[in-house]
Amino acid sequence: MPGKTPDKEPVENGGYRGGKDITEKDLKSKAKKASKKEGDDEMTVVVPPAKSSKQSSAPPPNDADGDVLMDDAEKAAEGEVKVDPVVQTINDIKSNFALLDRAVAQFDARFSLRALRSISSIRRRLTPDILAQAISETYASSSASADVAKRMLLAIGRPDVSLGRQPGPEMEIDSEPKAAAAKNGARKEVKEVIPEVDVFLGILTQVLLHDSKRHQQGLEFSQYLAERIRSLNRRTLDSLSAKVYFYYSLFAEQIAPLPPSPLSPIVSIRPTLLAALRTAVLRKDVDTQASVIVLLLRNYLLTSHISQADLLVSHTQFPENAANNQVARFLYYLGRTRAIQLRYTEAHEHLTAATRKAPSSACALGFSQTATKLLLVVELLMGDIPDRATFRQPNMETALRPYFLLVQAVRVGNLEDFEGIIADHADTFRRDGTYTLILRLRQNVIKTGIRMMSLSYSRISLRDICIRLHLGSEESAEYIVAKAIRDGVIEATLDRERGFMKSKEVGDVYATREPGEAFHDRIRACLALHDESVKAMRFPMNQHRLELKNAQEAREREREMAKEIQEGDLDEDDLGGDFEGM
Amino acid sequence: MADRELTALLAHLKSSAGRLSYSETNALLSRAKLLLLQLNALTPAPGTPAAHLALARDTFEQGALASIRARNPDAFTRYVAQLRPFYELLPRGGGAAAAGEEGEGGGQQGERNKVTGLYLLLLLTQGLYGEFHSELEALAAAGGGDAEADRYLGYPIRLERWLMEGSYDRVWKAMKKGEVPCEEFGVFSEILTSQIRSEIASSSERAYPSLPLSSTKSLLFLESEGAVVEFARSRGWTVRDGQIYFPSAQETGEEEQEKEMSQMIMENTLGYARQLETIV
Repeated sequence: MPGKTPDKEPVENGGYRGGKDITEKDLKSKAKKASKKEGDDEMTVVVPPAKSSKQSSAPPPNDADGDVLMDDAEKAAEGEVKVDPVVQTINDIKSNFALLDRAVAQFDARFSLRALRSISSIRRRLTPDILAQAISETYASSSASADVAKRMLLAIGRPDVSLGRQPGPEMEIDSEPKAAAAKNGARKEVKEVIPEVDVFLGILTQVLLHDSKRHQQGLEFSQYLAERIRSLNRRTLDSLSAKVYFYYSLFAEQIAPLPPSPLSPIVSIRPTLLAALRTAVLRKDVDTQASVIVLLLRNYLLTSHISQADLLVSHTQFPENAANNQVARFLYYLGRTRAIQLRYTEAHEHLTAATRKAPSSACALGFSQTATKLLLVVELLMGDIPDRATFRQPNMETALRPYFLLVQAVRVGNLEDFEGIIADHADTFRRDGTYTLILRLRQNVIKTGIRMMSLSYSRISLRDICIRLHLGSEESAEYIVAKAIRDGVIEATLDRERGFMKSKEVGDVYATREPGEAFHDRIRACLALHDESVKAMRFPMNQHRLELKNAQEAREREREMAKEIQEGDLDEDDLGGDFEGM
Repeated sequence: MADRELTALLAHLKSSAGRLSYSETNALLSRAKLLLLQLNALTPAPGTPAAHLALARDTFEQGALASIRARNPDAFTRYVAQLRPFYELLPRGGGAAAAGEEGEGGGQQGERNKVTGLYLLLLLTQGLYGEFHSELEALAAAGGGDAEADRYLGYPIRLERWLMEGSYDRVWKAMKKGEVPCEEFGVFSEILTSQIRSEIASSSERAYPSLPLSSTKSLLFLESEGAVVEFARSRGWTVRDGQIYFPSAQETGEEEQEKEMSQMIMENTLGYARQLETIV
């Protein structure tokens, strides 16, 4: 890296906004070298005279240069005392560039994630003008990625903003780079912008277009951005590209004709997503892989291509160490697929995990609500009655109200109430996508009704059962009760001649295998929790090399010692009681 | 030119659907498929003109119905799979173009509901409930809530519900002549009858200690008492003094269960021990 050494600036002292200082050890040797430089604080920058022309032809990944730019932006920000929201936002955006740079330099995805996390706070303040200004200040008109910048400006509707504007109006333009550097930290740098920054700004553009509901433009721009990401093969882009695909498919969903129609644009983006998945798998790009699998699943489920979703799941392996949120989403969609396929036990397992993994903050409330609703229905379908406490959670209470009524009807086994609730809340259930599942509950209601009847009466005529459960005829009642007996819902016998059902004495639950099973389930859950906590521990990257080195040294010492013993320089006593200890 | 020939061929197929033998129909269908190939519409592409798509769809629909009449479920499943992309490209309802065609008496809709309904029924008789519900979900998403009200689609949906509940008498009634929406649906009656009969038999084994022969006849929807005796023998029931006694599988089962349970407890305990070892 030729352009690296000269203009390395004191990074640590610059101070990153929001306390984003560096705590991780520099692991790459390259980075180490850079950190050494950080020591000499007031190092003057020796900029090669023909900097700008040389830089524009240089290859894009020039992190050190990128660093300087960021630092300058930081300094400029601190220089300005007035807190203009526009300037503040621009600076916030730019402060993320530093993180991205660091992510590239140290090859640590955590910095990119941190940058992505800040999007939500920037989002609220983002306007086309702010973004246009940020873009124009980041890119020089002569730089290689200027066309990216132009596309972004075009997408946000500010095509006339020129590139290469200076960070502040009060800044005088100095044609001599050296002087500028000496004065205020190399302000007039015309440098190559790393692709990560391109993509980051691209994501901001997507966010902006999405918030302003310009979906068509968003889709077109996303197509362009996805294309560009595909052409760049950089591991440091992984988490960013995952986000790009996310917005890409979000735009496609919003464009008419809306999803359930088979002509919706989401069908046409499937090849792109599948190609992205393939590439991500080949490149071991976990972030994109996880996010694209989730998007594809969502895509299939929106058009009710259940079997295709099932095939996708069976042919792909969801990355184990994917981000928690993606895992939660994946589990939700998987649970949904399984519920439709009548595999309730699996569905229940996946949905429980999804609700537990869902972030507890208010921003993901919608997800938890949706997942909980589905979970409740699946629990009912399995013949369980959901916990009363689920409905008491303050942030869920109103959303779950129809489901609460539904549970009550199923619990009591009242078919009339049940049908009434379905009719009353059909729209809600349809909107939640649980309607067809709820229709399947009818048999459960009947079964519960029969169970209640069997518990309350030692003997009851089929006619009474028929009347109480609102069944069509006595024959129906007879068949239904017989089926319930066979399925093990109740312990009873039927008398055909006299037309009644006779309940058997209920045995002691503790004599059955049920308590053992419940106990086993709990132990298994605890063990799984333990395993997962062990897996979730994070160890610093490459730390083991250090240990290996120590081990190597220890071995060498041992060898030396052995040698000395052999040579008779050392008695056994000198080794102390070590052997015992071992 | 090819499309005119195809239209004529299809008209012939449709008008004489019931009378042609399966092999004759198959020969005609092969010719129709060759013509489709000439039109480049055998496999759908977004660029294929709508008229050709409709022709191709009609061809496959005729093929599907013919294979149902010939009781060939494999061929039917194949036709349904081939039809699916055409249905995706020719959406039902919605859109200005479809609204105009609605007035022509549903001719443009084709036999979609009929074929889908038959497919649902096939899945039901084969016991593939998972696929049945997947298909149902797709219908609900595509057509809103009117699936149940449809003559062809509502039939298998209702049957499934009754089967799940256990109201076998309603299933039986629905399969009688006059209740079936069209003749192709009648093909499945036989399979369904034997299916519900064995369902009833297995529930009766558990539910009744004994049954009089006379009422078993009506319970199992059998024609005569002789048929009942025969059926009882095939299931291994004993018939004595006009009563059917079911073999009690209870005692042998219990012992086995006991064994299974202690086995399970042992396995679990060993498992815990192993896990504890890894933790400590």
